[in-house]
Amino acid sequence: MPKSFNNNMLSLQHISKYYQNGPNKAYVINDLSLDIEEGEFVSIMGPSGSGKSTLLNIIGMLDAPTDGYHYFIDQPVHQLKEKQRSALYKQYIGFVFQAYHLIDELTVYENIETPLIYQDIKGSERKALVADMLDRFGIVGKKDLFPSQLSGGQQQLVGVARALISKPKLLLADEPTGNLNSKQGEEIMELFRKLNKEDGVTIVQVTHSEKNAQYGSRIINLLDGRIESSITL
Amino acid sequence: MIKNYFKTAYRSLKKNKGFTIINLLGLALGLTIFMLISLYVYDELRYDRYNEKAGRIYRFNSDLKFGGNTGSYAVSPAPLAAAVRADLPEVESTVRFRMWGGAQVKKGNMNIHEHAVVFADSTLFKVFTLPMLYGNPATALKEPNTVVITEKMAGKYFGKVNVVGQTLTLNNNELYKVTGVIKDVPRQSHFDFDFYLSMSGFEDSRNESWFSNNYNTYVLLKKTADVKQFEAKLPEFLRKQAGSQLQSILHLTFDKFEQAGNYFKLTLIPLTDIHLKSSRVAELSANGSMEYVYIFSAIAVFILLIACVNFMNLSTARSSNRAREVGVRKVLGSSRNNLIIQYLTESVLITFIGAVIALIGARLLLPLFNQLAGKEMVITPQLLIGALPLVMAFSIVLGCLAGAYPALFLSGFKPVQVLKGKLAVGMKGGTLRNFLVVFQFAISVFLIIGTLVIYNQLQYIQNRNLGYNRDQVMIVQNVWMLDKQLPSFKQEIKQLPGVNNATLTGYVPMSGYGNSTTVFKDPVIDEKRSMMTQKWMVDEDYVNTLGIKMAAGRFFSKDMPTDSSAVVINEAAAKMLNFDKPLNSMIYSPQDDMVTSVKGYRIIGIMKDFNFTSLRENISPLVLILEQDGGGLCIRTQTKNISATIAQIENVWKKFSPNQEFSYSFMDENFDSFYRAEQRTGKLFIIFTIMAILIACLGLFGLTAYSTEQRIKEIGIRKILGAHVSGIVGMLSKDFLKPVLVAILIAVPLAWYFMQKWLQGFAYRQDIQWWVVALAALTAIIIAFVTTSFQAVKAALANPVKSLRSE
Repeated sequence: MPKSFNNNMLSLQHISKYYQNGPNKAYVINDLSLDIEEGEFVSIMGPSGSGKSTLLNIIGMLDAPTDGYHYFIDQPVHQLKEKQRSALYKQYIGFVFQAYHLIDELTVYENIETPLIYQDIKGSERKALVADMLDRFGIVGKKDLFPSQLSGGQQQLVGVARALISKPKLLLADEPTGNLNSKQGEEIMELFRKLNKEDGVTIVQVTHSEKNAQYGSRIINLLDGRIESSITL
Repeated sequence: MIKNYFKTAYRSLKKNKGFTIINLLGLALGLTIFMLISLYVYDELRYDRYNEKAGRIYRFNSDLKFGGNTGSYAVSPAPLAAAVRADLPEVESTVRFRMWGGAQVKKGNMNIHEHAVVFADSTLFKVFTLPMLYGNPATALKEPNTVVITEKMAGKYFGKVNVVGQTLTLNNNELYKVTGVIKDVPRQSHFDFDFYLSMSGFEDSRNESWFSNNYNTYVLLKKTADVKQFEAKLPEFLRKQAGSQLQSILHLTFDKFEQAGNYFKLTLIPLTDIHLKSSRVAELSANGSMEYVYIFSAIAVFILLIACVNFMNLSTARSSNRAREVGVRKVLGSSRNNLIIQYLTESVLITFIGAVIALIGARLLLPLFNQLAGKEMVITPQLLIGALPLVMAFSIVLGCLAGAYPALFLSGFKPVQVLKGKLAVGMKGGTLRNFLVVFQFAISVFLIIGTLVIYNQLQYIQNRNLGYNRDQVMIVQNVWMLDKQLPSFKQEIKQLPGVNNATLTGYVPMSGYGNSTTVFKDPVIDEKRSMMTQKWMVDEDYVNTLGIKMAAGRFFSKDMPTDSSAVVINEAAAKMLNFDKPLNSMIYSPQDDMVTSVKGYRIIGIMKDFNFTSLRENISPLVLILEQDGGGLCIRTQTKNISATIAQIENVWKKFSPNQEFSYSFMDENFDSFYRAEQRTGKLFIIFTIMAILIACLGLFGLTAYSTEQRIKEIGIRKILGAHVSGIVGMLSKDFLKPVLVAILIAVPLAWYFMQKWLQGFAYRQDIQWWVVALAALTAIIIAFVTTSFQAVKAALANPVKSLRSE
């Protein structure tokens, strides 16, 4: 009988994701169980095709597992309807992408503001929240620029700011420094560490870089859709 | 949130300038044409509705069949109006018009010819809404020799508007007292007279004959009257009224008359139907045609559809570029509904901008369109205010319709997939898009074939040998004013060096002049051996001047005094009369309306048939007699130095008649004016077709641009693998030629069917040629190929390294 723990942010129990390929099943995630506590900073590593991104997407509810149980803050995600899932996700999860995925047609300010719009937050309140965020990330002077006018590091900074604007409990990052040079990468990682330590944001990141993985509190190594090792630093 | 939608929409449109311009241009062009045509159709449908009692006013039509010929007239017998008032309780009032072919109106020493002159009953203002500025409408036309004129004419002849009590001199010696000045007749009226002469001074208006139709008769029914019941009473009413006359003329009862296969019927046509649905003999002016209203409405809808299809196609094609945005927005918490609303906002915005551009475009193009369509339409502020909510509603509906597919399509994307770039969407869902391209091109091919067929038929009319020569023939009008001097005037003109020949008559082909009568094969009247025919009064120079050929016998000659009781007939008449030996046979013509006596004529010659009416009609029987007619003098001039010849003729005219205006026209111009409606339609059709094709091409151009963009990577790889430019262009173009070919297969039979139907309206026509179809198909293919290959060549020439590097 699956169970959940009170101090757990999320709990994955016997999760599988596979594609039916003729008579064979092609497993991307194979009977994987994982608990992440509030305040953790987890780095997921592994070779290409080991299921890192899929796992992250399942955690972020962008993708659904084929089998298994998924609890997020004591809610049985595997039983929720699309709408409830999306409400849960809107409230608690922020996403950062390798390719930043800012909306080209919107300014820095508007990009950061967008999640608030979808949460039906009032205009005046949005203004205050976005202004805070701009201030905190030191990008006030760039607020009216469009993404194409920014460097990669600055774009990712905006990406992180946008992910944090709705005050998520969980920040998911898919190779956040993959497109950045080492200096920019370090800055982002420092930022993550600070968020984790000072603001208590739980972070799960997928990374290829051993060095970046060291910023976290735990490193999970994946191989062929299973957890090969879990090292607490 | 709405603000955000607008902002995104605006920026996204701005970012994709090329796409936006193509999309907007196509849409605006389509909408402009749609608006102009709607305006045209609206204008045509509004005819005569200015009359407050329009719903209760009807005109009598008479249909006659007698002696194997049939006639449909807009005129009816003179006594009809009084008789229906007396006999039928539904009638509130009646009014009659009697056309008079114009008059000479004296201004100072000059006589000016006015066309728009008519005799009218004093009840005119009870029936029609013609607001009187000065004078009393109740009494204005009661007295003989009174006239009501329009504001325009008051200004022209007196220099002021209030001219009640003044006197006008018509035709040199007839004095008319002005008893009323009315506002100019609205443009949307099936009659447009400037001078309304009192009917009570016109002797013929009191004639009692039920067998001569000369009066355009209108009836105003009482509010309580039922039209159907009223119309049902008409046959019995006519039988009662006309029966005794029939008995005394033809010695027949009405029953016998009908049993012999003849008929005489009275019917009603609603006033508001006259302009579009009536084209009978003796209409008060050339009417429009419902057929063209339908044709143009269809074109308007076609063009609008093409424009909408473009819009849908381009929006979906572009969706791949927006897939990532959809993914990001979904990850940021957007629901599907949010996205649908966002994309619909965008497409409504674009349609609205398109509609506004179209509105401005329509306003700017209106003068040009008016010129082409022969109209004087204006966009009044009231019309604009009335149309604005319509335009708004329209852009919302159109925007939603055109945006629905892209919106549903885009909002359905799965974020994980699109963010990974897995979905190379864009050109997928191509079935619908191909279907839409087929649809667009089918319409275009249809319109191309239609245009070619119409153009061909018009050329055919222009160049057909009509059996007479209309080039260089000048017609001097109103020569009857010269009275006794006429023969010497003609003689003097004939002797001018630039003149080849001249004939004195108003009866020339296409002049609208006509004289319908019945002739009999025996001196004893027997309607079974009769023929309805045109009987024209001409002189001995007629066939030579007009270049008409004789088939048998001879034409009238000065040297044969017996020719005054001779006739020359055309082949159609000879066929209808069906004599064993037509030459020297006798035919008999009644000498008056009541057919109290007949005169015998010997047939001395048969002319080859010539088209004296529209080519829409078959050549009907024609009988010429030798008699002076002052309707006009037709002069065949020499080709060189026409203006000098005209000046010489005018000098002769001034010598004979110093105070009369010299007015003339050329026969070929008259001929052209006869087909102006067709010419106009042809021209409009061609323009609309070009527009439709242009819009379709814009769409295709945009589509190829996007499909090429989609395949840019594929093209790069193919080039690296050694593909030639021509091979790549061929590959890209092939995709678009297939739907065009399918479109041709669909459109050709449809176009064939409908154009054949149109051509059936012409008795003389050029049937659809195979090359018309081939040309239309080829044009469509070439246009499609040129449009697509422009993009394809550009893509094929691009450096593959560039396109592949972006991964």
